[in-house]
Amino acid sequence: MAKKGTGQTKNPRTGKYVKIDRDKGRIISTKKSPGPYKNVPVIRKKKD
Amino acid sequence: MIFYNHDREVITDFISYFPKTCFIMTQLGLPLPEKLKTIREDLCEELNKRGFSELDANSSIKGRDFLSKIWRQVLGVPLGIAIVTEEMKMSTISNIFYEVGVLNALGKETIVIKSKEFSIPSDFIRTEYIEYDGDFKEKINKFLDEIDELADHYDLMGDELEANPVLTIDYFKRAYLLNGNATYFKKVKDLMNKETFDSQTRFGIKNFLATEKRLKKKELKK
Repeated sequence: MAKKGTGQTKNPRTGKYVKIDRDKGRIISTKKSPGPYKNVPVIRKKKD
Repeated sequence: MIFYNHDREVITDFISYFPKTCFIMTQLGLPLPEKLKTIREDLCEELNKRGFSELDANSSIKGRDFLSKIWRQVLGVPLGIAIVTEEMKMSTISNIFYEVGVLNALGKETIVIKSKEFSIPSDFIRTEYIEYDGDFKEKINKFLDEIDELADHYDLMGDELEANPVLTIDYFKRAYLLNGNATYFKKVKDLMNKETFDSQTRFGIKNFLATEKRLKKKELKK
């Protein structure tokens, strides 16, 4: 099933959050300041 | 998925990928400084414990010129580690930092290990480095932990960006290079069969999938 909407995830090497558009399959931006983007759900890996 | 060689021409033959392999950038010509020998030994011990192999510009001779060989090795690995000490010549240090730049530009992970007395050139102040001291093993393992987490991050990005299969495959390829998990071959094969790609992209995907065969052959030879 296709993943929907905008989400964000933290790059563990840079410590920066990456915002992605899952509908279009593109990276929107990388947050320059510390912490996550406001009002954007954080995507976490589902444990198998 | 277009890569260029050091002469700025497009690479049109297959690149050999080396999963869980670290490209070491340091002085290779003899005599090696004593500090370098110690650092490299300790580094390799920790890399081996984590299942990483090491590769350097002396690792294989294939008749290509030196820079061409380094370029292709760099394209095939997920990360590079530079080792610099104050005992090295400026020309050697310049070569090492040139290679760090090449790896960074190609999206590879890098870190510099430096002796306590070595001063980082001003243009590389923002480059991440580890100082070789009594806590070295702890520090290098922290870096390698981050590399493991990065593979998970790439895996997640690949899954989440499935609306753009070219990006998904690229993230899966990078995850594979970092963690060596062969299940990515099936994932990429399934995507290749399901989606439509232009011929250049298909070539890049086939290049990645050829890694599975090459590694199986290598295993059989052992």
